[in-house]
Amino acid sequence: MGTKELSLACAVGALVSVMALDAMAAKKAKIDGKEMFKANCKICHDKGSASGEYTPMTLISDQWERFFDKKYLKAHEGLKMPAGSESEGQGVTEAITPEILQAIKDFAIKHAADSEHPMTCG
Amino acid sequence: MRTNHISTALGCLMLCAIPTQAVEYAHQEYFEHYEGTKTCLECHEEEAKTFFHSQHYQWRGESPSIVNADGKKLGKMNTINDFCTSPRANWIGVSTSPSGKVLSEGCSKCHAGFGLLPEETMTDEQLENIDCLICHASGYRRSLFEDENGQLARKPILWKNQEGLDSVAKRISLPKNAMCLRCHSASGGGPNWKRGDIEYVLSECDRDHDVHMAADGAGMQCVDCHAGEDHRVRGRGVDLAANDMPGVHLSCATADCHGPNPHGEPILNSHAKKVDCTVCHVPRFAKVDPTDMFRDWSKPHYSDELEKYEATIVLASNQVPTYAWFNGITRAQLPGSPAQRNQDGQVEMMVPLGNRLDPASKIHAFKVHRGRLPVLAEKDWIIPIVVEEFFADGDIDKAVRNAAKEMYQVSDPKYVWNDTIRYMGIFHGVEPAANALDCLECHGVAGRMPWKGLGYDEDPLAALLKRK
Repeated sequence: MGTKELSLACAVGALVSVMALDAMAAKKAKIDGKEMFKANCKICHDKGSASGEYTPMTLISDQWERFFDKKYLKAHEGLKMPAGSESEGQGVTEAITPEILQAIKDFAIKHAADSEHPMTCG
Repeated sequence: MRTNHISTALGCLMLCAIPTQAVEYAHQEYFEHYEGTKTCLECHEEEAKTFFHSQHYQWRGESPSIVNADGKKLGKMNTINDFCTSPRANWIGVSTSPSGKVLSEGCSKCHAGFGLLPEETMTDEQLENIDCLICHASGYRRSLFEDENGQLARKPILWKNQEGLDSVAKRISLPKNAMCLRCHSASGGGPNWKRGDIEYVLSECDRDHDVHMAADGAGMQCVDCHAGEDHRVRGRGVDLAANDMPGVHLSCATADCHGPNPHGEPILNSHAKKVDCTVCHVPRFAKVDPTDMFRDWSKPHYSDELEKYEATIVLASNQVPTYAWFNGITRAQLPGSPAQRNQDGQVEMMVPLGNRLDPASKIHAFKVHRGRLPVLAEKDWIIPIVVEEFFADGDIDKAVRNAAKEMYQVSDPKYVWNDTIRYMGIFHGVEPAANALDCLECHGVAGRMPWKGLGYDEDPLAALLKRK
């Protein structure tokens, strides 16, 4: 492969990479962590709920990391999404896809109790 | 080549294999559980005692720079301002909108205590009321809670999460910019509303905004200039009633910083003898967040966006300062004293003293805040406003009456509305030398300097040129 062809291949490769990253970013941008927290978490963890109230500022960022990495699956194993939710009756861990879970995690950490902008999620 | 790849791969594997270091905080080993201020007092009782007497706790102090203080200890606790008017009248409380939105938690939201009013006498209860973490623990936040007796008090938002609270309480440091700015930028009801030159962005600004505080500038912290001794803070600006360190003047010209002759050009150094550095080096304020330039409490209105009633407030950005002489002394409009008015009939809430012939005076840059406040007709005393209920019900007459009763014990006040004016020093947001005002921006035909108001017959440069 000559220098010209190599340069062209590199340029095309870079363009494809940028486009792929843009597409990923666009896809990621579509998932609003705050809305997902409201729709999927708050529905069972609102103030006064039997499952306990959880808002982003219930925990500090380290605790959220640990929760999502080590405790989330076990804590929600076998549980179904409640009546009134979009995925009513579906298993919690199936209804909340990995992408949604990541958006929720990012939102919770960004607004954790020790963040610059703690939030209750409305 | 192959060996290199293998080495790189091995290197990556080794990096991945290094266990994550547990985060160590400054007070990691000093205590196990944070149980309120008594945990801090076990080692820092002396520091707490010094803090108790400071302006950040008392919200009043010695006032040698207020010409009419008459020896009294003054401060926001016992004076009236033309923004939210009076912390004493609005100390703690929760007012909510019909939808449940919290409209205000009271001025003590920014007091370094858990909700008790500061008292003059030091007691164990007062020392335990000091909230050390609000200024010293990054990541610490608190909110207002009602106890079983219906008493409101501030608590850490993590009060039900001991593990989280312990972690945050161990992150002790000197106050960082973000901690100072949470209160000093938020005062007056919104970001930068009150001061004009103390913006949230100072915690992460670039050199064009502030050469001192920018990460790509000097990277300075607020405490680098303002920290004094024994929890006392250096610098009082122009419109602060109390002086935490009387006799200590905060200046750019100290030997450690810029010295008295910082410029290469002698003409600029000669200007610096009569012109404060900020005049040329802070050419504008409210550069990011708009600031409150006018607040009229006589014209309340309902904000759909904020879901509350508020005064009519005029916000403005990128403001050119007003220039006036200042010799370090200020005259204040004090509660219970007849209103002092200027020639335009405005009550002078805080005005700098000084003039062209006064050797202690320099021209300074100011934000001039105008307002409209109630005045007790019979006595001609300024009345504050109890804002907590007003935010929810919009009843300004009731808010004034409640304030008159609380401040002056007058039950049925007759009052009138009067315009007010306050001069506030502009000291922050120092821009790079390249952005400093040049000669003609003050001395040109369209120069910004109000020469006649400063005591000159005309622009002194124009006069000099005429003489030649």
